[in-house]
Amino acid sequence: MITIEDLSFQYAGGKHAALSHLDLQINDGDFIGIIGNSGAGKSTLTYVLNGVVPHHYTGDFYGRVTINGLDTVETFPEKISEFVGSVFQDIDGHMVASMVEDELLFGLENFNVPHEEIENRLVWALKSVGISALRYRALSTLSGGQKQKVAIAAVLALRPQIIVLDEPTGELDPQSSRQVFEVLKELNERYGMTIIVVEQKVMLLCEFVKRLVVLEHAKIACEGKVEEVLEQSAKLKDMGVNVPRIVSLAEKLRQDGFYRGKTPVDLKSAEAMIREVMKA
Amino acid sequence: MGGFLDYVPGDSWLHRLNPLTKIMISLVLCVACFLSANHILILIIIGINLCMGALSGTMNRSLRILEVLSKLAIILFIVQILFIRDGNILLQLPFNILITDAGLSFSLLFCLRFIAATMPLVLMLSVTQMSDLTNVLVSKLGIPYKYTFVLTTAIRFIPIFSAEMTNIMEAQIARGVDFDTRNFFKKIRLLLPLCVPLLISSVKRIDSGAIAAELRGFNLRKRNSGYRQYPFKKKDLLALLFSVVLIVVATQVPAFI
Repeated sequence: MITIEDLSFQYAGGKHAALSHLDLQINDGDFIGIIGNSGAGKSTLTYVLNGVVPHHYTGDFYGRVTINGLDTVETFPEKISEFVGSVFQDIDGHMVASMVEDELLFGLENFNVPHEEIENRLVWALKSVGISALRYRALSTLSGGQKQKVAIAAVLALRPQIIVLDEPTGELDPQSSRQVFEVLKELNERYGMTIIVVEQKVMLLCEFVKRLVVLEHAKIACEGKVEEVLEQSAKLKDMGVNVPRIVSLAEKLRQDGFYRGKTPVDLKSAEAMIREVMKA
Repeated sequence: MGGFLDYVPGDSWLHRLNPLTKIMISLVLCVACFLSANHILILIIIGINLCMGALSGTMNRSLRILEVLSKLAIILFIVQILFIRDGNILLQLPFNILITDAGLSFSLLFCLRFIAATMPLVLMLSVTQMSDLTNVLVSKLGIPYKYTFVLTTAIRFIPIFSAEMTNIMEAQIARGVDFDTRNFFKKIRLLLPLCVPLLISSVKRIDSGAIAAELRGFNLRKRNSGYRQYPFKKKDLLALLFSVVLIVVATQVPAFI
């Protein structure tokens, strides 16, 4: 479980607070999407969750963040990384090896995973993101999207309790993006992993996550179940968040008095909404 | 990217040798060059290098390296020959510059050594994956992983930084800077300011690499953490035997006059 209590953080040399008075509780098995416009503090929030802030990126840190009861200020990032896996936005910068297999082995070896289990985990992680064929390839020969999948596989192989991903589908095509989210969903449902994902593709995110957190100007603007957050579509638009079209449609139908039901979050609920409107 | 230090994928017998054997052979070839003062033996060592290149499917790379090294060797040769004044004078040039037989012999030996001692190291890096190299250094020789990681990362960064430099240059070209000049000094003057953005992006990259390594348990690694095993096989012993023979020959063969 992750608890953030009244967290404020300002990078050393920064002019404004990157995060300001944040309160958030993330339970085991949660699947959370974090959205917000650029500079709202999304990436900083991911750094807080894996201990990079305040250990690597220093600054003024107020409040308290605990992960599984451990205070992130007092615990070294490598200890935190035993249960928090991280996929960063800048994929190239966060590669540590030259070959795909080595990239995956790096973490597995470091965490002293038993040798007889390593092969299974390698095969499973590569297969999960659909890149089994790339196992012996050099990273320099891969496309951006393929590298992104390698980065995700490298974290999956470690089977952490919590996975934090910062725009994991930034360089992926629509089909691969969906594939990544399907994998995350499976990990969440089958293994009970807690997934926290920062993503710009709001529509895709809403289909998969259980809760949404919207950041604006270093603060949490709204937070809750996907439908609850999307209901405030006018507010979201003001914040610069790209609201899914079906949500906008529902809003318009509601304004015109055609629809009174729940805000649709995926195609299925959108279909139900349209059927209801047609019937009326 | 065709860097001289990149791994060339393959499945030749040289690729399949134990990484430690490959290090040994390349070191032995280097040492043999310096132990022997026999020009022919050193030429034979260059020949052995080329043979190994051909057998491992890295002949193109070997020839390219030979070409680059030869160019450098010619410069070294000229510098050497002009400054050695011992031995019988073969030619007397203006400004009291002498070309002597000892100078000629030594300069030639020096250049051959330079070529023959560099080639095996490059060949070794071409047929050995960096990770195998470091794994074997850690598991068999007990060198701390931190040091080997520094080595692999440094080598890994060479093509990355050169690609970064190309990016920066392309960005400049797109804005009208003309790098297409034959004037060396003018080119340097154009390239020098680009070092700043390159330095900044390099530092950023190293920083994020450090975070990534730390978050994947870099500090938790132990000596026996390595997954891949590197047993010695018959062909490794044969290769080592060959190395010993070469060293003995190198010390026994008299100097070529």
